Amino acid sequence: MSALAISISQVSKHFGSKIAVNAVSFDVVQGHCYGLIGPNGAGKTTTFSMMCGYLFPTAGQIRVMGADPTAPGALKKIVGVLPQDAILPPTWPVGALLTYLGNLSGLPNAEAEARSALDRVQLPETWSLLAGQLSHGMAKRVAMAQALMGSPPVILLDEPTAGLDPKIAAAVRGIIRDLKGKHTVVVSSHNLQELEELCDASAILDKGKLVSAATMAEMTGQSAEFRVQIAKGAVPLAEIKALPGCRDARVEENNVLMVNFDGMAVQPEEIITRVVALLAAKNCLILGVWRGKSLEHRVLQLT
Amino acid sequence: MRRVEDLNEIASVWRGEVTRAIKSGRVVVLLILFLLFVGLALTIVGFINYQLNAQAGTQLASAGADAAQTAEAMAKQKAGILSFMFADDEAMLESLAKVPLVLLIVFKVTLRFVPLLIALMGFDQLAGEIGPKSIRYFVVRVKRSSLVFGKFLAQATIFGLLLTVSTIMMVVVARVLNPEFEASDVVLWTFKLIVSSFVLALAYLGLTTLCSAVLKQGSVALALNIILLFVLWFVALIGEFYRIPGEVVTGALGELRTESLFGYLRYASVWHYGQDLLHPHWRQFLTAAMVHVGFALTFLGLAQVVINKRDL
Repeated sequence: MSALAISISQVSKHFGSKIAVNAVSFDVVQGHCYGLIGPNGAGKTTTFSMMCGYLFPTAGQIRVMGADPTAPGALKKIVGVLPQDAILPPTWPVGALLTYLGNLSGLPNAEAEARSALDRVQLPETWSLLAGQLSHGMAKRVAMAQALMGSPPVILLDEPTAGLDPKIAAAVRGIIRDLKGKHTVVVSSHNLQELEELCDASAILDKGKLVSAATMAEMTGQSAEFRVQIAKGAVPLAEIKALPGCRDARVEENNVLMVNFDGMAVQPEEIITRVVALLAAKNCLILGVWRGKSLEHRVLQLT
Repeated sequence: MRRVEDLNEIASVWRGEVTRAIKSGRVVVLLILFLLFVGLALTIVGFINYQLNAQAGTQLASAGADAAQTAEAMAKQKAGILSFMFADDEAMLESLAKVPLVLLIVFKVTLRFVPLLIALMGFDQLAGEIGPKSIRYFVVRVKRSSLVFGKFLAQATIFGLLLTVSTIMMVVVARVLNPEFEASDVVLWTFKLIVSSFVLALAYLGLTTLCSAVLKQGSVALALNIILLFVLWFVALIGEFYRIPGEVVTGALGELRTESLFGYLRYASVWHYGQDLLHPHWRQFLTAAMVHVGFALTFLGLAQVVINKRDL
């Protein structure tokens, strides 16, 4: 079994009588990019905040690289965090703030680290600006820069692209993509397309409860489903169902053929090729083929 | 090893916060306000003192008193004021007699405002970062306790500088107005006043840190701080209004006080011990200093407990 970066076991958080997170358990493998998904009020940010040691769990246990986040100083040099709604101290110049944060982390050359992190988020020009003068997007990227400083093994990002314009959001996604494999990254986001693109695995929360925790392949059914957009022609459903490894086949709305198959018995490329060949033989015209369901579809099903 | 790491963390927070405070406008404004206040107090008290001395001198001269008699009468008048303002402790009065009255009065008046100034300077040291959640950028990097201690030390440093500047200003003016204030006494009393005011400030700095750790809105933390200051003053005052059973008191005011267990209340307030910080005897001074440090550590300890247990 792969080494775990984060382990969450039966964690609950109550705010008075309100149960924000209820007995949630999931693990994050080292080097993975992990998504936290769910509608508003699902408990994503609360779970995220407990991983960072900001909030104390009412029950259960969390370990981040083996450390208990609630223990004093336990996350130092282990975790870099982009908190969702934490305002950068407005009276600090950005460069001085990042250098100060680097010093607090005990980085040997905090100023050089700060400059390099700002370059990475493409904001070197903000060095002398006061943090309070930054636009929302700039502040978000500066906050991202501080999370990257010192190259911690675990990086936790809460809504990293929320409120950013598409170009900057793409750049931030590029940074996250670069982190994959070298760091364990947890991303909490509403942007499901983004998570589907970036994450190796994810947890879906709803009303404080975990409704699913699986690899992205399992989550989107990539190993067990594919769809074919039919432009014209009659689909030979009986023949498709008879193919080896095929579990089910049906035509959904908008003339989309859905084929469900046993991923352990047959390779996806094998069965997709056979189905397409069969359709072609029956003079069916095809517009497109895609594997799995989109994450959005899955989340809508579960929440 | 761990302890060294903790000290490094505290030192990093202290350095960062001192730098930020010095660069921030608020400290400069407070320093200017404090110095203006000291200057105003010096002007008023110095003027009244000068007028009273001149008037007393004229009256004594018209009554046919010589220079020695005039000096003796003035000294008696000063002893009376000191006894009213400070205490009936003879050793204390003897020690204070060497210091110009204007300096003692202004210093005492200034000290009354020190707790308020401390509250104004540091009310949002933690609350100002808990509310907008800025503290989240710090607590993944350093222990929460290091953050509290580092910020407290930064406040103490800034306030120490502020007290040093204002005390030197008071002493210089007092020396100009009273050339008989000897150079050796000037040095000794400058040192004594700075040390005593700094030790006194420590307890109130601790209280401000505690208020700032308990609440997440700076303005509410400031209000709580001021309320607690009044509570401390009231508790000390009520304690002073009564005689402790068996306590021997002298003077007309002392005899007016009735005997009651409420007299013990004075010991519950740090305000009660401030006087002895100027005492010439080491025992009294050290007791008062230790009580102030004790209060500071208690407030800081409570701030640590609160910040370590609360969600941020």
